[in-house]
Amino acid sequence: MTNNRRFCDGIARRDFLRIGAAGASALSIPALLQSQAAAAADGKDDVSFIFLFLKGGLSTIDSWDMKPDAPAEFRGEFDPIDTAVPGIQLCEHLPTLAKHTDLFSLVRSFGHSNSGHGPADHYMLTAYHPQAGFNANLMPNNQRPSHGSVISRQLGPRGSVPPYVSLPNMHGSGGASYLGASHSPFVVNADPNSPGFKVPDLVPPLDVSADRLDNRRELYSTINKFAGSVESQFNAKANALDTFQQKAFDLITSPKTRKAFDLSQEPTKLRDRYGRTTLGQSCLMARRLVEAGVRSVFINHYNWDTHYNNFHVLKNDLFPHLDHGMSTLLWDLKQRGMLEKTVVLVTGEFGRTPRINKDAGRDHWGPSSAIAMAGGGIKGGQVIGASDARAEKPATKPYGPEDLAATIYHLLGIPPTTEFHTAEGRPVPIVPGHGRVIQELI
Amino acid sequence: MRLLPPRQLVPCLLLTAVFVGLPATQIVAAEGQLIPLAKNVQLNFRDSVWQLLVDHVTDEATIDRTHAVQFQTSNDAVAIVSQMGVVQAVGDGNCQITLRLDNLMATVDVTVLNCKNTRPTTFERDVIPILSRFGCNGSGCHGKAEGQNGFKLSVFGFDPDADFNAITQEGRGRRIFPAAAEQSLLLQKVSGQMPHGGGVRIESERAEFDLLREWVVAGALRATPDTATVDRIEITPADRLMAFDQNQVTQVTAFYSDGLSRDVTNLVQFHSNRPAIGNVDADGIVITGTTAGTAAVMATFMGHVDVLQITVPQPGESIDDSGFDEFNYIDRFVNRNLKRLNIGPSNQADDATFLRRVYLDLIGTLPSAEESRQFLGKKDPKRRQQLVAELMERPEFADYWALKWADLLHVNRRALGHKNANAYYRWIHRSFAENMPLDQFAKEIVTAEGALRDVPAGNLFKVVTKPNEVASALSQVFMGVRIECAQCHHHPFDRWGQSDYYGMQAFFTQVSFKKSDRGELLLASGKQKTNHPRTGEAVFAHGLGEAMPEEEMEGDRRKEFASWLTSESNPWFARNMTNRVWGHFMGRGIVEPVDDLRLTNPPSNPELLEALAAQFKGNQYDLRKLILDITASAAYQRSNEVLQTNRGDQRNYSRFAFKSLPAEVLLDAVCQVTGVPEKFDGVPAGSRAIQLWDSEVPHEFLRLFGRPIRVTACECERVSEPTVSQVLHAFNSPRVQSKLSRPDGTIAKLCRKGLADSELIDELYLSYFSRLPDEKEREAVLKYVKSRSDRTKAFEDVAWSMLNSLEFLFNH
Repeated sequence: MTNNRRFCDGIARRDFLRIGAAGASALSIPALLQSQAAAAADGKDDVSFIFLFLKGGLSTIDSWDMKPDAPAEFRGEFDPIDTAVPGIQLCEHLPTLAKHTDLFSLVRSFGHSNSGHGPADHYMLTAYHPQAGFNANLMPNNQRPSHGSVISRQLGPRGSVPPYVSLPNMHGSGGASYLGASHSPFVVNADPNSPGFKVPDLVPPLDVSADRLDNRRELYSTINKFAGSVESQFNAKANALDTFQQKAFDLITSPKTRKAFDLSQEPTKLRDRYGRTTLGQSCLMARRLVEAGVRSVFINHYNWDTHYNNFHVLKNDLFPHLDHGMSTLLWDLKQRGMLEKTVVLVTGEFGRTPRINKDAGRDHWGPSSAIAMAGGGIKGGQVIGASDARAEKPATKPYGPEDLAATIYHLLGIPPTTEFHTAEGRPVPIVPGHGRVIQELI
Repeated sequence: MRLLPPRQLVPCLLLTAVFVGLPATQIVAAEGQLIPLAKNVQLNFRDSVWQLLVDHVTDEATIDRTHAVQFQTSNDAVAIVSQMGVVQAVGDGNCQITLRLDNLMATVDVTVLNCKNTRPTTFERDVIPILSRFGCNGSGCHGKAEGQNGFKLSVFGFDPDADFNAITQEGRGRRIFPAAAEQSLLLQKVSGQMPHGGGVRIESERAEFDLLREWVVAGALRATPDTATVDRIEITPADRLMAFDQNQVTQVTAFYSDGLSRDVTNLVQFHSNRPAIGNVDADGIVITGTTAGTAAVMATFMGHVDVLQITVPQPGESIDDSGFDEFNYIDRFVNRNLKRLNIGPSNQADDATFLRRVYLDLIGTLPSAEESRQFLGKKDPKRRQQLVAELMERPEFADYWALKWADLLHVNRRALGHKNANAYYRWIHRSFAENMPLDQFAKEIVTAEGALRDVPAGNLFKVVTKPNEVASALSQVFMGVRIECAQCHHHPFDRWGQSDYYGMQAFFTQVSFKKSDRGELLLASGKQKTNHPRTGEAVFAHGLGEAMPEEEMEGDRRKEFASWLTSESNPWFARNMTNRVWGHFMGRGIVEPVDDLRLTNPPSNPELLEALAAQFKGNQYDLRKLILDITASAAYQRSNEVLQTNRGDQRNYSRFAFKSLPAEVLLDAVCQVTGVPEKFDGVPAGSRAIQLWDSEVPHEFLRLFGRPIRVTACECERVSEPTVSQVLHAFNSPRVQSKLSRPDGTIAKLCRKGLADSELIDELYLSYFSRLPDEKEREAVLKYVKSRSDRTKAFEDVAWSMLNSLEFLFNH
């Protein structure tokens, strides 16, 4: 009888159920400690992470993974060019990046199952596909913590700067979920490319001197009777605000933080080289922040949702920004000897439809895209995997957001099997069970 | 014989091995009774199955022991039974299943019919449920709008024609090969024998895989038009009281239109709304955790939903509820729930806390120092109710409630233009000032007709312009029912399908606008038709859950909608209105989110919601009477103090929650305590933030603190999560600092007045916190002030600390 095999499965399931929640939760705290120890032992606790997120969805068939031999309605208007690495071709409108292909690698067999902005964003930023009840309009909307929050929680702050920064603004899925308010990002809320850029309200007004601020802080801790009280501890919102206030004091009183956010300290020539664009100056800011000790920088760059006039917009607007910003970031990190210690990830939430639509645009395409990664132990100048002839789906072993997260965490010395507990005591791994490190990158 | 999937057959031997490894909770049960939940089981057709459920009932508790019981059949030529309690039909006849747990015993009678007939495996009855159960047609996979890798299914199987076509015709016919079933892509992909983006969905060892293969081999049959369809499903048990770390096996029955029913437990998708309290696995086994509270476990099958309610009390000594305060009917239901969950309520808040709370909740305004002083001097035992009644007569009451409703009703200047938006807002404002009954309020909006200048309520139809969007917005605002999902497919977590959605849309297709010498005219007449997008058949206007009429009604259909919406028998209107208002005062709706009433998001206290709704109807939908009831309850008047017995509770009103202040309320509070008002563009000088009818008046503070932009009908648009940027703004912004230090501000004025330091401190405490400082606080502040050389600056620092304290920033 073939029944036996069925029974095995049945028993495994039962067995797990009967062990129940108590058994599972007991596993997790040691796992957490273990991962911290592992990070330290690998000497990896100084690796940082910069995530350049191209919100809306970068058209990877027009950039990282061109298909010159595909029919005209797929391949598009751009031609590929040769690059610094023989065999790797990029779009003709990314000429500077083409000179630096030795610094980064591409995964061309990437994809996932969701082609809607909100859920796909959540998937890419957290490694978890959203579940029932997900509301993309909430800020934050996290059902699971973002990469940056996990890194913040796991590795903690490095010096007096915040461990996780989001710029120029907050992304809905960039939150900390059950890791709690102290692991949500510090949000810059200002465009680093604007002429009078400064982080709003980071510095007290002129008539509040440093001494006076100290006095205020002391007085405030006497007057603020709910600070650290059991009442605020058991009220999520009060607890979050309480935490944020402590964080805010640290930020305000740290000269290092102020300096890190001060782009005017950079030479004009270098600022120009990054590009006087939101993307370019955000990349520069990211480098400064990492230099100052920030572990994880999320750059939320908009406008990649090219349903209309894809080619015109990419050629004249978005690609030049990306070309200068990203290439200078990699070059600059390399120059400073920081690239080995900084993982850089460049991707949107999905690719775009290989078939060009009636508006000369491309629509959302979860199933196939390419991602670019560099630094932090990643070998540059490689192409991992391939998509099929029309870039409609991965042609080789497919990688997804789970694998991406596993790779990022691995490079930062955090075992992807690490588990955290929700507020209600439920253990949840930072990467869903099937996420695997993309070994070819390393 | 068809082989059962893993859930249903597990041999005794291995099972015993599992039990050996269990903790000591599996002790010998010698007392009480074994009670099977179904005492008679009738099985139709060979191989059909039934999951038995067995309770062990003692004086102390009722506990599911289905997996501990030994089952035995009296005749295995009629039916066999697995050790998981699954009975399977073998041949026609009667038999008895004996259940044993140590010395306890019970029996179940089984009747098997129709075993000579093999029921044909059909697409509708067998295949779609499998595709749903294993997530193939989920919205993240082949069910999403563009399908997945060229294979598209309708989401959750709502369109069998299209799905059948996709499987049997598209894909160059490679998806199924009846002649060589094993070669079918469908089978190869689901079982992972061929690379599949979604991985292995159904192992080839499972019975569901066999069923798919049988279907292919038999020639991929469809159900005939007269084949029975599912009328409803039922999950057993319907509700359960459970302890920490317990399991509960469930059973789900589908009832068909031909009167037959079958066990579909294996084909159902399960989901828990609160996994920490009661999680559920893919097989429908509920597992409680170590958190007290209630959870809803839902089962979905072919567009039908049913819910199992789990109640998990706080363990430990049973709480004595004789001392629970009961001020009115509300407390009866709140207390009953607390007792059931073994959670203790906090004590009543003092007068100062109550004062501040009702000011903020009713009129969005802090009491002034003088108002606080007066109230705190009162001894009248009715002073709290009197205060509430007085506040409802104040102009700020209408300001604040109009602000709240202007969010939901989209008073949007950009969409409406200045004049219309303002008129629309004034109408809302007047409705609350005059205490218009809320059913009339809804009616006037829904049926507005004529020149917009005469019926400003009609502006809703100018902001929300498409009939389907009107239907969605009105459903959400007035009934708390979200129907958008059903535009494209059956609502995955509720019972709404496309007919319901388009039936609602049809109420609003007659609306049009025309220019006239009295300005714009809103018209609603004509014979506009609505067709079902999939079947193309006409859909006539009908309310959610109602039967569709034979033909389209005459005249303005919105009138029919309005009377249906506000009729005594409408299941949502009164519940939604009371739930919203309750949520406003208590910080959390009985249904939460407050505008998401659905079968699968049940109320945390259904009896309370029913009682509030009934009272509200009885009071002719009078908002103020509802507010009087809520604010008079002990539940509302509790302190925020955390007790050992209620620290984990966030949902059952055992203590008062910390509520974020809406952006406008906080800004007004800052202006009031500092004595420096804000100036807003485009409104008369002296306007307060809660009076801003236009949510796009540019203002950095309001933006940072989460003011909504009024583009949806969702309460969630108003963000109440705190952020670091808010904290920095309150700490450091020149705006706040200048309010503290200006010579015409409160601090400077008070300092010039010649008050003693301690008098000044009292004044500030009353103004910021609506209370006097205790001795320790007064001493500490005095000490600080005396230590500084500049008295005014010292008091600025005091005020700054107060303004940034949680006590000021929250309503608590």
